[in-house]
Amino acid sequence: MVKKRVFGTLLPSVAALAMMSGAALAQSSDEILAMSWEELVAAADGGTVNWFMWGGSDSINTYVSEWVGGQLKERYDIRLNRVGINDTVEAVNTVLGEAEAGVTDSGSVDLIWINGENFRTMKQADLLFCGYTDLLPNNRFLNWEDPAIANDFGTPVDGCEVPWGRTQVAIGYNTANVQDPPRTVPMLLDWIKANPGRFTYPAPPDFTGSVFVRHVFYHAAGGVDGLLGDFDQAVFDQVAPKAWALLNEIEPFLWRGGQTYPNSSPALTQLFANQEVDFTVTYEPSSIGLNVMNGTFPETTSSYAFDDGTIGNVHYVGIPDNSPNKAAALVLANLLIDPEAQFEKALPDVWGERTVLGPDRVPAEWAARFDALPRHESVVPEADLAERSLPELSSGWLTAIEKGWIENVGR
Amino acid sequence: MTASNQSSRAAPAGGTRDGRRDVIVRWAVISLLLTWLALPIVPLLIWSFSFRWFFPDVLPADYSLRAWQYVFSPTSGVLQSLRDTLLISGGATLLSVIIGVPAGRALGQYVFRGKSIVELLILAPIIVPGIAVALGIHVLFIRYGLANTLFGVMLVHLIPTLPYMVLVMSGVFANYDTSYEAQARTLGAGPIRAFWYVTLPAILPGIVVGGLFAFLVSWAQYILTLLIGGGRVVTLPLLLFNFATAGRNDITGAISMLYIIPGVVILLLSARYLTGNASAVGGLGRL
Amino acid sequence: MRIALLLGPALVVIAALFLGGVGLGLARSFNYMPIIGLDDPNLDAYAWVLTDEDFLLSFVLTFHIAFTSTVISAVLAIGAALVLRHTFVGKKVITFLFQLNLTIPHIVGAVGILYLFSQSGFFARIAYAAGAIERTSDFPALVFDPYAIGIILQYVWKEVPFIGVIVLAVLQSVGQDYEALAQSLGANRWQRFRYVLLPLIMPGVLSASVIVFAFTFGAFEIPFLLGQNHPVALPVLAYRSYTDVDLAARPEAMAMAMVITVMSGLMIYAYVRLSRRYLRAG
Repeated sequence: MVKKRVFGTLLPSVAALAMMSGAALAQSSDEILAMSWEELVAAADGGTVNWFMWGGSDSINTYVSEWVGGQLKERYDIRLNRVGINDTVEAVNTVLGEAEAGVTDSGSVDLIWINGENFRTMKQADLLFCGYTDLLPNNRFLNWEDPAIANDFGTPVDGCEVPWGRTQVAIGYNTANVQDPPRTVPMLLDWIKANPGRFTYPAPPDFTGSVFVRHVFYHAAGGVDGLLGDFDQAVFDQVAPKAWALLNEIEPFLWRGGQTYPNSSPALTQLFANQEVDFTVTYEPSSIGLNVMNGTFPETTSSYAFDDGTIGNVHYVGIPDNSPNKAAALVLANLLIDPEAQFEKALPDVWGERTVLGPDRVPAEWAARFDALPRHESVVPEADLAERSLPELSSGWLTAIEKGWIENVGR
Repeated sequence: MTASNQSSRAAPAGGTRDGRRDVIVRWAVISLLLTWLALPIVPLLIWSFSFRWFFPDVLPADYSLRAWQYVFSPTSGVLQSLRDTLLISGGATLLSVIIGVPAGRALGQYVFRGKSIVELLILAPIIVPGIAVALGIHVLFIRYGLANTLFGVMLVHLIPTLPYMVLVMSGVFANYDTSYEAQARTLGAGPIRAFWYVTLPAILPGIVVGGLFAFLVSWAQYILTLLIGGGRVVTLPLLLFNFATAGRNDITGAISMLYIIPGVVILLLSARYLTGNASAVGGLGRL
Repeated sequence: MRIALLLGPALVVIAALFLGGVGLGLARSFNYMPIIGLDDPNLDAYAWVLTDEDFLLSFVLTFHIAFTSTVISAVLAIGAALVLRHTFVGKKVITFLFQLNLTIPHIVGAVGILYLFSQSGFFARIAYAAGAIERTSDFPALVFDPYAIGIILQYVWKEVPFIGVIVLAVLQSVGQDYEALAQSLGANRWQRFRYVLLPLIMPGVLSASVIVFAFTFGAFEIPFLLGQNHPVALPVLAYRSYTDVDLAARPEAMAMAMVITVMSGLMIYAYVRLSRRYLRAG
């Protein structure tokens, strides 16, 4: 009994010791917002940022750890701790769990690579630090008037996250196996029926699987125009049965006869790499170039966007409200939208992702350099993507479509 | 041909032919078994050195050290992860020994009221899966700031490791003769000296075996670390998981190799205790 | 007093961490957790979980995985131990290699199984080279499959050595006297196994099997890596609910965790009953 009590008091004190190393000085949102940029940089000096991000790409990991981490250390003496996770929802959940347990200023997450439903969840639950974008010197390079940047899957950003990159769905295929790939969604549906077992998509709510289903949904709706704006149950009820019918129609012709679907986008990548299927769908066209370079895909791989368009989005970084290292996180967020950082990231052998900076906002010399960027030959040309870009739906639609897919197609 | 005919004719009725068939069957079973046991490791090893290994190639088109370079690069975090994993498993093992040896002694040498309940309680964490416990305790760990720390993960690893230690030690102490200890005490040795010079050498094999199991159980933990570590504590299995689910077979292969080496080394160092100590292993079987 | 001192630390750790975890999980499954403002317990999570089709499918799948893996592992392990127990050249080395598997974490085995048995894996490639299949889909679906074959293969791979090592230890402590006696009384090979050896090793086999069943019933990472998308194993379903961004799903996750716990409790009970019966018979 005595021992138990000793242990009971020991536990929190050990915990306190363990926490000291992490956060010496908690930084409240108000204190930070009252600072000037110089004061912020001074406050961040010598600190650490714990950046939670999907960790399954060695190229992205290397860019973040080596280039970003190196610059952060060199310019600001801040240590970057890249925390690789399987799924962004793990980071959201960590913050949620902390909030639930009453941890308001000593959270373990300082920055999250985030967008879409995860962003909406955190914003709605007031778990994000907001209103700091004007503090960042590099904010001037961003075009906040672009609705695709000011809204994250239909949810207004409201200064609660900083854009980091721009992506768009592309279809990858092996030119050695498929000579004349289907160029539109209806053509793809026909191709699937003519080539049983050679196509599949990840099961929603996987991010990529979900976006594939939305392409079919757009097709069923006869275009995206009727679907924009807030979720509309009446429109949904009208379109959804058509979409489920299309998807159920192709199901027997999918990989494994549609009895099961890949669990995740990387699982689909794997199937494509192993030639178990003829197509891969990706929300990150640059990944096709990276996968050719790292030997996952054959050199005969090519990619394209549907003639009837593919969906594009912007991804961001956000700072949880309970982060104890907000100043350092802000310095990092600012560094990420530095033209130099964005250019490095856009190099095809680094990551190859399009910049999120406004072409008319960056200095002319940088605009020219971005224009002259080389492209990996397996990656769909930027112009092709730009002229075929479709908007994302708002999160309400996403949730409804994912839920509907699970109930009507997945089961 | 003739020699074998002769020998079988010369052999006493049936015995040797039976014996020889036994030997053949035995070796066939053994080779089959060992092949099966080693088999899953083979593609991992090859993948770690491969570059472009597409279906239907039975062997990679090209070989490369890229994956290993990534694993050993100072910024990939793999080596830090190896260090953290060793720290956590080493710490959990040490704590298990310190707490488990006395408990094993109590259970192995004494009969007391409520003993079967204590035994059941100590047995329970082996049987009840970690996820069932971890989901519940998570909120408490967050509240006391133990979540997302190395120490917190080490502590939560005690749930599965400690029972193994106690069980093995209770088996050891059940066969342990206390009279030597008593003798040492009558010869004037203090309790600490008696423990150090008499008890410890006698129970050391048991501690090694229990420690081996505790270490391996901690070393293999995934879900407890994922939940309590909250992503901040990145042990090797978490890293492996990242790359396995991302389809990077080459890096997955390299990390797998790195991940299995410490366990193999520790087994090599302690194998003589494991085979020579039926009672200790029996402790596991007896529960 | 001395006993209390010796047992104290271990009991405190197990009470605080293990019972604490199960207790908090139980409370949360009733949606009761005053420290975070939930003070109105109810049974909603159980009502929802126990009538949910996904949950029931997952339960059946998980039971199938655990049961099949345990039975196959135990049978193979007994066979392997019987073959390995006789002294002959190289036995030490082989026993050591046998134990080597114990040190290899489940995740590594799972990835290895994936690379071996997927439809584009090592065996599929060999089948292709041999002309047995023309395309990947001709190869049988052994991972991500509805019967959880890949998951079971992994467990069997890992658990045969575990049960085997225990059975070997028991066999060694038993020695060969009983068998020799039985043989001199005219018992044939099968009779010697069935009536002499089996009763002797049964307690060891059963206790090891209980550990294996409980482990395979509650393990997360193997079905996550090798299982199909739907239905998923119970621990995966529980984890998904727990990490659902909708916090309202957490009691459901806890209720599933409690079902797993109860299942394990039944295993402990079965083990105690069975081992006592066998001990008496033996």
